[in-house]
Amino acid sequence: MPTLVSPLDERSREAQPAAPRLDTLEGKRLALLDISKPQGKEFLDRLQHLLEQRYGVAEIVREIKPTYTKPAPGALLEKLAFVDGVIEALAD
Amino acid sequence: MLATGDRAPDFSLRWLDGSEWRLQQAMADGPLLLAFMETDCPTCRLTLPYLKRLAGALGADSHRVVVVSQDGAEETRELVEAYGVTFPVLLDADLDVSRSYDPPAVPALFLLGEAGQIEFCEVGFSKGDLNSVAASMLSSLDLRATTVAELDDGAPLTKPGCSSRHLEAALAATLAEADGAEQPREPSPEPIDLLPESAPRATRFVLAEDEDPYEYCMKAGFSPFLPVVPPTEQRVDAMLAAIPHPPERVVGLVPPCYGAATIEKIAANAVMAGCKPEYLEVLLPVVRAACDERFNLHGVQATTNSATPLIMLSGPAAERLGFASGAGVFGNVARANSSVGRALQLMMANLGGALPGEIDMAALGNPGRFSYCVAENHEHSPWQPLHEDLGFDSDDSTVTLFAAGGLMEVSEHTARTAAGVLRTIAATLAMVWSWRRCLRVEAVLVLCPEHAATVSADGFSKSDVRDFLFENTGVPVRAFEYEGTEGSQALGHYQEVLIDGEPHYRKFKDPSQIHIIVAGGTAGKFSGVLPGWLAGEGGSQSVTYPVKR
Repeated sequence: MPTLVSPLDERSREAQPAAPRLDTLEGKRLALLDISKPQGKEFLDRLQHLLEQRYGVAEIVREIKPTYTKPAPGALLEKLAFVDGVIEALAD
Repeated sequence: MLATGDRAPDFSLRWLDGSEWRLQQAMADGPLLLAFMETDCPTCRLTLPYLKRLAGALGADSHRVVVVSQDGAEETRELVEAYGVTFPVLLDADLDVSRSYDPPAVPALFLLGEAGQIEFCEVGFSKGDLNSVAASMLSSLDLRATTVAELDDGAPLTKPGCSSRHLEAALAATLAEADGAEQPREPSPEPIDLLPESAPRATRFVLAEDEDPYEYCMKAGFSPFLPVVPPTEQRVDAMLAAIPHPPERVVGLVPPCYGAATIEKIAANAVMAGCKPEYLEVLLPVVRAACDERFNLHGVQATTNSATPLIMLSGPAAERLGFASGAGVFGNVARANSSVGRALQLMMANLGGALPGEIDMAALGNPGRFSYCVAENHEHSPWQPLHEDLGFDSDDSTVTLFAAGGLMEVSEHTARTAAGVLRTIAATLAMVWSWRRCLRVEAVLVLCPEHAATVSADGFSKSDVRDFLFENTGVPVRAFEYEGTEGSQALGHYQEVLIDGEPHYRKFKDPSQIHIIVAGGTAGKFSGVLPGWLAGEGGSQSVTYPVKR
C-alpha cells in the first residue's frame, strides 16, 4: 500500500461572505476605483455622471490603482475604508 | 543616516566563522565599501552579484567589499552560499552598527576613504552608484577601470530597497510601548507572515490495496490535466536527501494564493514532474525567482494573456545536469528540461492556486504551460552567455525567468549579412503583443546558431544586435490610419523615427527590452521571438537567480 505525500497547499480557506449590500445609493459616499486599464477614466466619468444625476449619490471619491497587474497597495485600500461602497471598474 | 564627509564610526563585528573584524584595521591602507543588507530583501539580492563583480575587479583587494548582514548566522550563511560570496560578510544581528550608521533602507552603501571619512553613501539599488563607487575604488588602488553594472543587462537601473532592520525593531518597540505592558494587543485572527521560515509538514495519504496511484493523483487534484509520477513517501524522501535543508523550510510563497513552497512540497511536486534529485539545484532557484516580487507571478498567473514563466538556464550546470540546449530545444528533448519546467508549472497550480478558468484566466493559454525550460547553447554561441552578461562569473550558473507567450518562429534562409537576418527578425519583433502596441512590450530573441554565426561574422556583438534591433523595429505610421485599434490610444507617447526611409513609431522604449540568448540546433536558419507580458515595474520583470551546487 503506497503512501503518498501531498503536493498541495493544505491551508483551509473559508469562503468569505460578500459585504452587506447598500439598500439605496441616495446620499451615500461611494468610491470609484480605476484599475488603470486603458479607457478606464472615460468609463468611470460616465458612471460618475449617472450615479450623481440619476441616483442621488452624495459624494464620489476617485482612486486609481498604480497598475492593474498587481493587488491594490495597502495605503490605497485604507483610503477606501471610509466610504459606503466601492465600484471597482475594468475597462479596455 | 550618516552623511558624506562624516567620520565613519569604528566598530567590530564577527564574521560568519566567528572571527573578529575591526573597521579601523580593515581600512588602514585604502578605501572600503560597507554594504548593509538583509537576507530576504529582493533589492539586496539584486545588488549582490554586482558587488561580487566589484570584488572580482579588486582582485587581491576584494576584502575591501564588506557586507554587514542585519540577520542571523543561519540566514546569512544561506545567502552567502547561494550567491558564492567570498568577500567579508559580518553579522550585525543586534543591529548596533546599523543603528550607528542609521540608513533608512537597505541595501545601504557607505564608501569610506583612507582617512576614515565617508566619501559616498546611498540606499537602494542604483547601477550608476555602483559604477561610481567601483570607479573610485579601482582608481584609488591603481587598478584597471571596469564597468560592474552594464546598463542594458536586463536588470532595472534603480530599485528602492527595504526598510532597514533597525528601524523595524524601533517601530515594534514604539508600538509595544504605546500599547502598554498591561494591555497586550489581541493577536490578529489571521496573522499574515509574508516571509515565514517554516510551514507545516505535508499530509500523507495511505492508499487502499486496489487504488491505482496514478488515477488517485488525477482524482485528488495533484495534476488534473496530465498524469504524473505518484509522489510516494519513498520517492519524496530520496528527493529530500538531495537537499541540505529541513523539509519544513519555506523557499517562497507562490502567488497568487501564496501557498508555501516548502522544501518538502517542492520535492513532492518535483517527483510528480519526473525530476531526478540532482535537478533540485536548478529547481530551488527557479522557485525563488518565481516568487520574487519583481517577477509578479500574481499578475502572470491571473492575466487573460497567455504568458507563463519561461526558464532560461545559463552556465555549466546545464551540461552537467543534462539540460538540452541544441536541436529541438523547445520540444520534448531532455528529461531535465521537461521535468524542471513541469515541476514549476505543477507548483504554480498546486501551491499558487492558479487553475485554468478560475484564477488562471488566460483566454488561450500557452503550450508552455506544460513545461517551458531551455538552456543556452554555449558551445555554438559566438558571444559570452547570458549569466556573464548579467555580471556572473563564467563558472557560475543562473536561472532567468521571463513571462513569455508562445514561440513566434522566424525563418531567414536567404540573407547572408547581419543586417539582412536582423531586419527579418525585426519584422517579427514588431508584432509582439499586437502590431500597433509599442513601448510597454518586451521580448526574448532566441537566435539559432546559424543566425548567430552570420550576425557575428559581420562583427556584431550581442549588444550591437540589441541596438540594431531597437533602432530598426518599428510600426509604420500609416498603420494607424484605422482609428480605435489597440495601441492607438497611447499614440501621444510614441516616438516617430525613420526606418528604411519610412516614418515609423519605435516599437521598444529601450534596447534592454530585447533579451537575447543563443539556443537550438546547428542546422536550420530558424530563430524565435518570445513575446513578453507587460514590461517594467507595472508588469513582470525578468529575474535571475544563481544556481548553487
